[in-house]
Amino acid sequence: MTNPSSTASGALMIEARGVEKWYPNGFQALRGVDLTVSQGEVVVIMGPSGSGKSTFIRTFNALEDFQKGSIVVDGIALSNDVRNIDAVRREVGMVFQQFNLFPHLTVLENLTLAPVLVRKRPKAEVERRARQLLERVGIHEQAEKYPGQLSGGQQQRVAIARSLSMEPRILLFDEPTSSLDPEMVQEVLAVMQELARDGMTMVVVTHEVRFARQVADRVVLMADGQVVEEAPPEQFFTNPQHERSKQFLSQIA
Amino acid sequence: MERLGADRWVLRLRRELFASRTDGVITLVLVGLLLGLGGAFLRWALFQADWAVVQVNSTLFAVGRYPLDQQWRLWLLTSLLAAATGLSWGVLRGRDWPPNDRIAAVLLGGLALLVPLFLQLSFALQARWWAIALLLLGVRWAAGRWGNPLPPPWRRGLPLLWPVLYLVGMVLISGGLGLMPVRPSDWGGLLMTLVQSTFAILLCFPLGLALALGRRSELPLLRWGSVIYIEFIRGAPLITLLFLGQNILGFLLPGGLAPDRVWRAAWVLTFFAAAYVAEAVRSGLAAVPRGQMEAARALGLPVPQALIHVVLPQALRVALPATVGQFITLLQDTTLLSLIGLLDLLGVARTVMANPAFLGKNAEVYLLLAVLFWCCCAALGLGSRALETRLNPNTLSAARA
Repeated sequence: MTNPSSTASGALMIEARGVEKWYPNGFQALRGVDLTVSQGEVVVIMGPSGSGKSTFIRTFNALEDFQKGSIVVDGIALSNDVRNIDAVRREVGMVFQQFNLFPHLTVLENLTLAPVLVRKRPKAEVERRARQLLERVGIHEQAEKYPGQLSGGQQQRVAIARSLSMEPRILLFDEPTSSLDPEMVQEVLAVMQELARDGMTMVVVTHEVRFARQVADRVVLMADGQVVEEAPPEQFFTNPQHERSKQFLSQIA
Repeated sequence: MERLGADRWVLRLRRELFASRTDGVITLVLVGLLLGLGGAFLRWALFQADWAVVQVNSTLFAVGRYPLDQQWRLWLLTSLLAAATGLSWGVLRGRDWPPNDRIAAVLLGGLALLVPLFLQLSFALQARWWAIALLLLGVRWAAGRWGNPLPPPWRRGLPLLWPVLYLVGMVLISGGLGLMPVRPSDWGGLLMTLVQSTFAILLCFPLGLALALGRRSELPLLRWGSVIYIEFIRGAPLITLLFLGQNILGFLLPGGLAPDRVWRAAWVLTFFAAAYVAEAVRSGLAAVPRGQMEAARALGLPVPQALIHVVLPQALRVALPATVGQFITLLQDTTLLSLIGLLDLLGVARTVMANPAFLGKNAEVYLLLAVLFWCCCAALGLGSRALETRLNPNTLSAARA
């Protein structure tokens, strides 16, 4: 069960085999996708829009269901069993393209809501930890503000801190910088880079080539619901093997 | 400063009312119209109208045929309501009396002095109204002085005061627990209107919420059940449902719940309003982006908690104006109860106007009804606007900053 292309060593955190998904209208979004992610690994998924990359990582925490294949996350097989789904979601954090912060709660309350309700931790302890997390992403001064008062970059950093508040073992990023103004992309990428350095297991859907080059252990290119190429970043960006990869790289360059 | 203010006022008047020749003409015509209509109305109200019809029947308009020797219970309830209002008001506002509060206080005091005087109540009754107004304002002052900020457990408990008071009020009105029972058919006038509308308002909200959630449910039976209920109710006129309810609710509801015509009507109003509230809530739910539920679920919150803590607070804020609009409609719809023979405000009014002694005094009676309903609806509207401001995180944080 070892992955030859993995640079990090450690237990298998995500193992997806032959995942296929059809939307109710008959469109097949995923056509047999395989992916393994080891502990501490950073995997970047790239690909043109409509390639199924967002849909694919959203199956990891059961925001999307799938019809064929199997996904095991941190030893828990994803099935229709609701208890399994809740168990997986507690271990997997997710950062969305649109931030999805809760606008009616303060920044601090955004961070404390889930640990208090789901993990049943005492509120004082959760708040102390939340403030530490906010400090880690560099926005501890804004703890009492509402999300609407923050810039896009600050909101996305709060969203990262919020997903960390549940102490997940895996973080999923669904195009975390795609709806940010250009000057705010860097501050979010810097936080993600630091997380990767601290050993967080991360699966990142993004178009940021520089981030993929500097941080990723592996780059996966998806097109038309399939994995086209999977390689270490250096090899992927300098010497892609597949025609589809070359075409994609020429388009985003 | 005063004179400067006056100058500015003149300038502002000129700018807003006489900026151009056309503006001036429009202003003059409108002022003329208003003066003419207002003058005619005042001439009628002061010199031609015969307010005896209201003065003589004021108790009937207020409580219907509620037994005279039991009316102390209603006075007690009114005092309790005044105290609770003062308490909530004071705790919310603290020591400050912003302009709105001062206007409200003056209006309240003025009404308590003038209305009983106008109704030519006995001195004892007039004094009671003064005492109740004084109680409200006194508690408001005291609660603002000492009750703000309230220690957290009390502050969280305060909203509970109202449902408790509602139950106490229902016991006081209808009897039981050692009090002499007063049959619902003896309630009337404003009392009947308020009991019916508050009952329906309180119950239609949770019911409407459940229907709105049911309509979005993934369980087909629940979804189609909610859709059919909502569309059936919205497709039928209330008056039809009221007559229908008088005939069938006795079979549909467990015996104790709708023992007589009054309660059957209250349930019909509730079921009717719930369908409209459900649509208001549904529009609120639709306004919350899908990502909110996804983010909550991704954090591990189960669906009920995600609804309660993330989706509903946002949805209900959007739905609030439409919901309160529905409550106001409901209050006005209670007048239909007179058509099924209940003595709500309009019902009492019709019996009064049918009395040969007050023949031809319809204008006075209808004007009274209009004013009473306007007061109730204005109170609901003001309350909802205050709530909206309070629930809006943008104004909230602006207030904090």
